[in-house]
Amino acid sequence: MFGLEFDQIFFVLIAAVTLGFSVLVVTMRNLFHAALALMVAFLGVAVTYVTLGAGFLAMAQLLVYIGAISILIIFGIMMTRRIMSAEEEPFNGQAGLAAFTAVIFFAFTTYVFINYWPAVPAVSPLAMAPEVDPAMIDNSVVLLGQAFVNPNAYVLPFEVASVMLLAALVGSVFIAKPRIQEAEA
Amino acid sequence: MDFQPPIINLLIVAPLLITMGAGLFLMLLNIFCKRDGVYYWLTLAAIAAALVQNVAMWGHEYGTFIARGSYPMVVSDNFSVFLNSILLLSGIGTLLISRNYLHRTKLERPEFYMLMLFSLSGMMMMGMANDLILVFVALELLSIPLYIMAGLAVSRDDSKESAMKYFLLGAFSSGIFVYGIALIYGATGATALPAVYAVLEAGSPLAMAGTAFLMVGFAFKIGAVPFHMWTPDVYEGAPTVVTAFMSVGAKVAGFAALLRVFTVALPAMSDAWMGALALIAALTLIIGNVVALMQTNIKRMLGYSSIAHAGYLLIGVAAAGQHSEAVGSVLLYMLAYLFTTMGAFGVVIALEHKLGEGIMLEDYKGLAKRNPWLSAAMLVFMLSLTGVPPTGGFSGKFYIFRSAVEANLWWLAIIAIMTSVVSGYYYLRVVFYMYMFDGDRTEPVYAGTALKTGLLIALVGTLWLGFFPAGWFELAYKAVIGTTQLLAGG
Amino acid sequence: MDIMELLKSLLELDLGGYLQSVGTAVWVINLIGVLNLATACMIIVIFLIWLERKVIARMQDRIGPNRVGGKYGLLQSVADATKLLSKELITPAGVDRIPYNVAPVLIVVASLLTWAVIPLAPGVIGVDLNIAVFFVLAISSVSVVTFLLAGWGSNNKYALLGAFRAVAQMVSYEVPMIVSLLVPILLARSMSTVDIVEAQGIPFIVVVPLSALIFFISALAETGRTPFDLLEADSEIVAGFHIEYSGMKFAMFFLAEFLGTLFMSAFFVVIYLSGYRFFGVEELMIGGLHIGALLGFIVFVVKVFLVYFVFIWIRATLPRVRIDQLLNFNWKFLVPLSLVLLLTVAVMDKLFLADAAQIPKAAVLMVTNIVVGWVTVELLRRRDNDGQTAVSPITEEAVTAH
Repeated sequence: MFGLEFDQIFFVLIAAVTLGFSVLVVTMRNLFHAALALMVAFLGVAVTYVTLGAGFLAMAQLLVYIGAISILIIFGIMMTRRIMSAEEEPFNGQAGLAAFTAVIFFAFTTYVFINYWPAVPAVSPLAMAPEVDPAMIDNSVVLLGQAFVNPNAYVLPFEVASVMLLAALVGSVFIAKPRIQEAEA
Repeated sequence: MDFQPPIINLLIVAPLLITMGAGLFLMLLNIFCKRDGVYYWLTLAAIAAALVQNVAMWGHEYGTFIARGSYPMVVSDNFSVFLNSILLLSGIGTLLISRNYLHRTKLERPEFYMLMLFSLSGMMMMGMANDLILVFVALELLSIPLYIMAGLAVSRDDSKESAMKYFLLGAFSSGIFVYGIALIYGATGATALPAVYAVLEAGSPLAMAGTAFLMVGFAFKIGAVPFHMWTPDVYEGAPTVVTAFMSVGAKVAGFAALLRVFTVALPAMSDAWMGALALIAALTLIIGNVVALMQTNIKRMLGYSSIAHAGYLLIGVAAAGQHSEAVGSVLLYMLAYLFTTMGAFGVVIALEHKLGEGIMLEDYKGLAKRNPWLSAAMLVFMLSLTGVPPTGGFSGKFYIFRSAVEANLWWLAIIAIMTSVVSGYYYLRVVFYMYMFDGDRTEPVYAGTALKTGLLIALVGTLWLGFFPAGWFELAYKAVIGTTQLLAGG
Repeated sequence: MDIMELLKSLLELDLGGYLQSVGTAVWVINLIGVLNLATACMIIVIFLIWLERKVIARMQDRIGPNRVGGKYGLLQSVADATKLLSKELITPAGVDRIPYNVAPVLIVVASLLTWAVIPLAPGVIGVDLNIAVFFVLAISSVSVVTFLLAGWGSNNKYALLGAFRAVAQMVSYEVPMIVSLLVPILLARSMSTVDIVEAQGIPFIVVVPLSALIFFISALAETGRTPFDLLEADSEIVAGFHIEYSGMKFAMFFLAEFLGTLFMSAFFVVIYLSGYRFFGVEELMIGGLHIGALLGFIVFVVKVFLVYFVFIWIRATLPRVRIDQLLNFNWKFLVPLSLVLLLTVAVMDKLFLADAAQIPKAAVLMVTNIVVGWVTVELLRRRDNDGQTAVSPITEEAVTAH
């Protein structure tokens, strides 16, 4: 079909679903529906990861984004709005300006990508190893795990990220916990 | 099993480990100990220890901590030692001026100290990170505690609003920043700064786009126009100690990473980003200084003033390609900015008798009579912020302007000088209010021992930098040598 | 067609190999496999319902189903299913149509998807993912969404409350579940279910009994069975999130629940009870025929039903817990315990037992597990004696606040 391979058709389909639902997220009036559309968009991203052979990443996407973040968003909606009819006007006065900016941004990135892709210089590691070893994909989880704790790789960002998450946790508890003595202040 | 304990040179990240470890320790301590004073002194001790360790590292070559491929993930050179010292000093300054304030506003919580230590760790890592991924993680580690600290006064709406605004815009800018990293990775296949430098070809459009996005992310953090919108609101709403902390810490850290990323990794793009930065600097100077004229709230005024100072600092960065001493002058300016701003906020805190009250310009009427020493200190800080000799602010501006002129950025230097003159109006208005008006204020001025110590240090620092800048500049210049590729040729 | 070859392939549970040898396209074989597995799972569920009713009845000194299909009432659930299928589908007014209708489909799909990574017998597995365990966790976390869909879509307060409870419960109990699963993953050095089964020369339930216990409790909560059946506590929230569903749609929730429980049994068998392995019987070869495959499958099924029996047993025995008890138990007991266990096992395994032979290693780890468990229980008992756990901190704060 149109000289496309199966993979390409599949990619286009998934991309269309992801983007279509992303648009729905920002245009739907019912916040709950918007959150559900967000989940489908996340799912589309996960499927893209699968097609790229990044199974672990796809599952992490499912677990974190759909299983946790979206649920959190839905809980947030349900706790802050009227439960059964959370209708919102999706646009405010800046919609036109935002659309204009988005179009400019889109045009800019599209221009860059279409005209200069692939842009990887010949000396870069990416260009030198264009073929990915299938064994490496099979073993990717192990390699990933080792990279996370390897002093020659990503142990420092990994540990710093955990401290960061801890800080965020402390902060969220701090903000959320009830404070009685401050009521009079 | 081929398990071998890896050889890690922990000395490189020792200051970081001290602050981070202290933060974690405080968290555990929180279970057993409910007395606030303990947290204060422990935090102070930890930051002081980190500072001592940091200063001891000056001029030493400790090798690399951990190497990814042939490029280290994090480096400790004189550049990072210098910046870390500024950051740690800002931490100490914040603690000194916060002691009494947190007490009387009932905001003293163990979480404040923990978050501050974590944030400080992130700030220090910004200057040491040698890999874009680490820069991003450090950026988040620095920002997230700040978002929460801005909302420290949970019961007040403006504090909540400030936290929310800071968080939303910060998260947005982080997203743009990551997109920039992704594009640079796409263009070079590398995230380590030296690797990016090695691979990057001039004029790669993808990397150009990536550079632009990185610039946007940094501009958000340092509060440069046109990404400055959050600054005044956040500065006003956040508790004043937090404002003081972020006006120095977050800005210095942002500049640290900006300098390292742009001069180490992206010299190939220097034509593009220098032009853009010069433009941003000009806009920042004009808007920051002009809008500051209209402020009656001293915290908002200092917010716009911090925007303006980001502009002066950006001049130095924009001149980095053509003038070898430009980066050094940026570092010197940061040092002066640290002392002056910390001092100014110290005075503001002393006058803020209740949370969010006593921070209007009106409240400074007749301060000279009520408390001559405090107003004298404020006079020095305001003069320094304006850039009047013989204060630190003048020395900083002098070196920056010199770099701009040497780098043939005449137009920028002229804008900078003119806006400095404009800034005199709003800075000296504070002085005017203090000395020329009779006040009817009766609220006490809260200047405890800690705050006085802090003000004294700030005063000494400001004047020292003003009278004897050459030695400090020598130091700042030394800090830069050997760090940036740009300077090697310049 | 070679009948003998076909028979042989059937005995070796290698129908796919046979079909491939006669030239069937791979995607057809895959389709057949998927259909087989899904249908088998659903048919087993019909039997399971009968089993559950019968066993519980016996435990409660009743007879249970005994009319339809002979003396033992074997066809009772077939009749029930037929009835449900033939009932009218009532869509209440005011439901949110898309979520309401999607939820029952999604929940069955999610329950069936996880079966893909269960090794039923040597070489018989839907797909041997290198992230199989992670896949299961991801899918089960996604299935949480369906509860919200159903609860919201029904436009019913009880349904929404039930959904909230379900989500709170499942999201919470995912944490100890993941952490306790990390222990066998650590020991097997792989997340592939096949590798984990292969690594169990000694079943992990013997090596790390505490991890198995934590997983089992979490699995109980994840499937929403007694004593954690708060999501359909009739006396409190009528029937939970599926109150507004009738006929086939209700049947699908019912089906998903049983599929989920069966899956958890199978997963438990794979992770902790060495799957299809039983003293090498799975490798048995008779006259060039790999009969071990079939035997392994039988072993697997027997083990699964044993575990499932324990599920039923608990259901017939234990009373329901309160929601605050449920969450406190999770966050203040299971999560810390599982973290401590993970750390202990990791340190022991890496530092002290790196070169140990299989049996001493297993013995040391088992003793470690027991010690960790014993110390915890002992600590809790001391604390209990001090009378500190009488009031939960949540209620305490709530009381002071008002």
